[in-house]
Amino acid sequence: MDAATISTQLLVIGGGATGLGIAWDACLRGLKVILVEQGDLGQGTSGRYHGLLHSGGRYVLSDPRSASDCASENVILRRIVPQAIEDTGGLFVTTPADPPDFADSWISACADTGVAAEEIEVERALTLEPLLNPRISRAFQVGDCSLDSFDLLHWLANAVRDSGGQVLLRNRVEAFELSHGRVVAASIVDVRSGLSRRIGAEMVINSAGPWARSVAELAGIRLPVALSKGSLIAMATRLVHTVVNRCRPPQDGDVIVPVGTVAVLGTTDFEVDNPADHSIQDWEVDRLMAEGEVLIPSLAEHRALRAWAGVRALYRPPKNAHEVTRDLPRAHAILDHAASDGCEGMISIVGGKLATFRLMAEGTIDLVCHKLGNTATSRTALQILGPSPRQYHSLPTRLSEYESGQTGNPSILCECELATRIGLERSILDDHAQTLDDSRRDVRLGMGPCQAAFCGYRAAALAPPLDPESPVDGGYRDFMSERWRGVRPLAWGQTLSQFELGRRISLELLGADTLPEDSS
Amino acid sequence: MTDLLIVGQGFTGLFAAVLAAQRGARTTLIAAGRGGLSLSHGCIDVRRGGASPNDLRALPADHPYRIADPAGLPDALAAFHVISAKAGLVYRGALGEDLRLTTALGGIHTTCLAPESLARGRLEDTLPTTIGDIEGYRDFSAELAVRNLARAGIEVVRSVSLPLIGEAPRRDLYAHDLALRFDDPDWRTELARAWKPRLGGVRRLGVPAVLGLRHHPEAIDSLEERLDLRLFEIPTLPPTVPGLRLERALRQTALTAGVRLIEGARAVGLIDGRRGGRRVSGVVAQSAGGPRSYPSPAVLLATGGVLHGGLVARQNGRIQESVFDLPVTHPGARGLLTSESAFGSQPFAKLGLRLDRRMRPLSESGGPFFENLYAAGGVLAGSDRAIEGTRQGIDILTAHRAVECALGEGSA
Amino acid sequence: MSIGPGLTADLCLKCNICTSACPVAAVTDLFPGPKAVGPQEERFRHPRLPTPDHSVAWCSGCGVCSRVCPHGVAVTEINVRAKGELARREGISLRDQLIARPALLGRFGVRFAPLANAVLVNPIIRRGLEISLGISREAPLPAFSTSTLRRRQAAHVARVPAPVTHGEGQPVAYFHGCSAEYYEPWIGELAISVLEKLGCRVVLPPQGCCGLPLQSNGLFDAARRYARWNVQSLHPFVAAGMPIVGASTSCTLALKHEYQAILGLEGVTVSEVAAAVYDVFEFITLFKMDELERLRLSSIPIRALYHPPCQLKSHAIGTPAIEVLQMIPDLELIYSEAECCGVAGTYGLKSEKAQVARDVGGILFDQARDVSPDLILSDSETCRWWIEKHAGVKTLHPLQLLAQALDIP
Repeated sequence: MDAATISTQLLVIGGGATGLGIAWDACLRGLKVILVEQGDLGQGTSGRYHGLLHSGGRYVLSDPRSASDCASENVILRRIVPQAIEDTGGLFVTTPADPPDFADSWISACADTGVAAEEIEVERALTLEPLLNPRISRAFQVGDCSLDSFDLLHWLANAVRDSGGQVLLRNRVEAFELSHGRVVAASIVDVRSGLSRRIGAEMVINSAGPWARSVAELAGIRLPVALSKGSLIAMATRLVHTVVNRCRPPQDGDVIVPVGTVAVLGTTDFEVDNPADHSIQDWEVDRLMAEGEVLIPSLAEHRALRAWAGVRALYRPPKNAHEVTRDLPRAHAILDHAASDGCEGMISIVGGKLATFRLMAEGTIDLVCHKLGNTATSRTALQILGPSPRQYHSLPTRLSEYESGQTGNPSILCECELATRIGLERSILDDHAQTLDDSRRDVRLGMGPCQAAFCGYRAAALAPPLDPESPVDGGYRDFMSERWRGVRPLAWGQTLSQFELGRRISLELLGADTLPEDSS
Repeated sequence: MTDLLIVGQGFTGLFAAVLAAQRGARTTLIAAGRGGLSLSHGCIDVRRGGASPNDLRALPADHPYRIADPAGLPDALAAFHVISAKAGLVYRGALGEDLRLTTALGGIHTTCLAPESLARGRLEDTLPTTIGDIEGYRDFSAELAVRNLARAGIEVVRSVSLPLIGEAPRRDLYAHDLALRFDDPDWRTELARAWKPRLGGVRRLGVPAVLGLRHHPEAIDSLEERLDLRLFEIPTLPPTVPGLRLERALRQTALTAGVRLIEGARAVGLIDGRRGGRRVSGVVAQSAGGPRSYPSPAVLLATGGVLHGGLVARQNGRIQESVFDLPVTHPGARGLLTSESAFGSQPFAKLGLRLDRRMRPLSESGGPFFENLYAAGGVLAGSDRAIEGTRQGIDILTAHRAVECALGEGSA
Repeated sequence: MSIGPGLTADLCLKCNICTSACPVAAVTDLFPGPKAVGPQEERFRHPRLPTPDHSVAWCSGCGVCSRVCPHGVAVTEINVRAKGELARREGISLRDQLIARPALLGRFGVRFAPLANAVLVNPIIRRGLEISLGISREAPLPAFSTSTLRRRQAAHVARVPAPVTHGEGQPVAYFHGCSAEYYEPWIGELAISVLEKLGCRVVLPPQGCCGLPLQSNGLFDAARRYARWNVQSLHPFVAAGMPIVGASTSCTLALKHEYQAILGLEGVTVSEVAAAVYDVFEFITLFKMDELERLRLSSIPIRALYHPPCQLKSHAIGTPAIEVLQMIPDLELIYSEAECCGVAGTYGLKSEKAQVARDVGGILFDQARDVSPDLILSDSETCRWWIEKHAGVKTLHPLQLLAQALDIP
């Protein structure tokens, strides 16, 4: 039954930004760390995120503590992982649909919380962003920027490994072993092979995001967490190059973020039960488009590329039991179960934002070190992620890499996102991508306008020779089905035309529906 | 002066233009761009699952085959044969017989007529087959095809990788890039020398469809001779060369037959309100300097479905016909336009124009919306052509019938 | 269209129809194709950051891609703007500055015509120009005329539109462009004669170079100055109800389309001028067919290969010259199979592009070799000079053939 036992000091459950940040902080303090993640890097909330690295401006009135945390973390993250960040800057604008006097209380709350904000001429804002609603009455510049979370997770995972930690992907926690009211070990199963292992640990950190509730239940603990689902839409081109926020109390769909080659509209917020509920409702799509139109009046003329949803875990202590998830504070909570539930050896961290992951990790490991008698302090605010000082990511970066590689013909498999053959091979061989969707998270395969209509086949051709466990069709059908899932809620205009093209290729040119069922 | 104005330059529009011009009609073809032939395998799919007269008569009454009268299919296909042969493209196969070909994914493409170079690879033929891909060419993988064919119980001897000669290209090549290289006889000779050593014992070889674009039959014939084996082609990702060959052939034929071709001009309908609103007087089309009117006594809409904008789906779930805003029945809610399965049938694919027996779009009241407006091809309702395998058959039959009706009208 | 050319990248389905039609990608793997450098790379371009774009420099601006795109992606416009941006950032060579200014060269060359012409055909000089400036020694450079069209046809020059006198014929303003003014005034004279024979009263309004060579070489600010000057000068004639007719398909395309779509000129004046511009054969087929049918056309029993310039096809009016040429008795017309003859304005003159340009035209030159025409016909001057040089067959403007059929000397 059990294959082997591994011993470690710290077992971190969950490979999102929170878990990886915790593992990294711990490694830098000399702790022995193993991190387990049930899926691939970025399959959870961190990979489904808006892309916004907050300046904090959004929360200055509704959640001042979050605002201050965001403001200081923004500066730190820009220093330590600039290569995953694009310095887009941000705008807060008062549109005709926003309360005109909100801006005044907002700007003074910015001062109070330490969020840098400067008013600019409306004309200047419109010159910066020509598609912006010309009837805005006020505009403010803030330090919002955009963050590629897949990049961040990869840098974090590499940093953990480089500093002596282990990252076990596709391993799910099945059970805990308790001894005298103390969690002493966890049993994990490799999702692909079914192989079980036992990990003995001095301390277990439950940073499993939306799954934190079910992980805690394995130890008989009830976590005060509410799950909130938010849907987002990526528009196919960069309609704005600056993060644009509506200057009003935070609601659905009031921010547009340029991330990589797309502009993301987001987000909705309502409570769900299932941590893996990634469904998109038609009303959510219509809502996001309608709100987006307030900022960009010509929005309907542009292509909505893809919709996705992420589930956030929000801390909902008993005193907030009746609040809707939209109104719950975004601040994180570090729960020492020894104190709250009489269960030693386990700490849960819930809530928070991706923008403050480092701070959450610092607080968590401070507690861990206190409990384990380790006196080291956090070094993450000073440690650059990656081998050498980098520059900010910029939009043309991938293109310049492609153009400069012209002499050596780097074969491009995904033309839309300029993902190379070499990059895809590496994701299969080095990063152990098991599905084309895993590769997508690595190299952006299929994330562009054609949604894998062309690169789906090319990538499926590449996989079988490199991965003996690859399905007979190279994973083609699963990948194309997954792409359709996120396109279907936006099935109008060019988006539907694009699917029709993809359909002609899959069905008529490739005969994908004539393959035997068990080939995928 | 025009007798017939055709809108759309896909297979339907081009075929209709050739038919009309060959019947002596002064024909003008206006198109916003080029159509979907380069996105297709170049074959004539009539109907997966049976295209006998009984099969077709059993289709629902609003199916394009029924509207255009399936009895006309043999004539329409015969006309296609004549036109394609004259343009140097020989098609094999016959109505009512299935022709099964392998795809680049190792799937099975069941068709009615296929160009000679594809038909030589028909699965009905049990000659042992090797499939070869071209090194560095990303749009075709022999191994992927062979794996999936094997899984389907179709035995392929093996897959082989064949070199490309000359300097390594400085970018990825598309199918038509390769096909243009194969047009060069000297290059072919040298290539054959490089391929021969890897093809010992191979009797029949399937390769990606790149064997010549402008000098096509010669390219494959001469290679077969040099390699001393049977050679066939398998269509690849777009731009798909067999489709391109067909498009070139149809365009040349149309131009030679005197069709006036106006490319790059998006059309909106022109209706002569003074004459009671029951007739169209032509179309207005964009040009570089502004709109231009193209009057005509008869107009044939061959603008296609949602792919190229003949039909446009709106965010509110409405489907709009883009030239004359003719009525299109649609399910109402946007969510009802699509189904979950990426490879299954899709409701939106069956939406389009409903026609009367004379190929004229219907109004809600049941009569033709305009007396002199006709429609053919993908803009029609009633068939999910990707699933049913009816695309080119519908293009051909409806174009054939619509031209008949439209020109019959002109002589009144 | 309410969204600018860059944002039409949104409409691209990556179908590769444009890639398969591109005459440059067909002959060189240095060019990734219009889809790649256009809508695909556009998603990686930022208005405030330099974009690495060297591949786009191979685009010839021929316009085939925009024309064949079924979705309305303004591929050519995106590429031309990107090329302009690239040129602006990297600096524009002396060569490009020179060849972008045919009017300037023309004014100078006309004054010293015989000497200037002798110099430009001298092989040693041409070799020197290739080495020093990068002007291909093979490139056909037109000979300067000894006098300009406007001087020769001074009677037709009109600074302002005259009031219409009944019985005088339909007033038409003729846009001659640099080629008819400085290099081939006889073409301009034939255009005037043909139009007069069809019942028009032709005037030569004030005008300058259309600015297209400036635009093609990335000199957008200069092109805009020329564009605005032309629009201002022509508008009074348009307002007086006159069509602007031109026989150079690149000039008329600039006036109709490029000023707004690429140079970004806006406003009622620009669009009114654009709407009033016609290619000469477009004008004839739209308005003068009755008159033409009444005239007797002489037989011209030759075989002519007609190559519509790619810029004509970008007008999206089809090929109106064919309709007129088909009326000439005994004329055997064969149609070019080539999308582009290769010169693409000034592209083929550049030494680093010359081989690619020749290869692009290969289809046409091979066809000429196969069908052995007596004449080749093409509506654009740069095409004519290029085709005549490389196909070795006399190449005329279709107007010249029409004039001959109309017995205009």
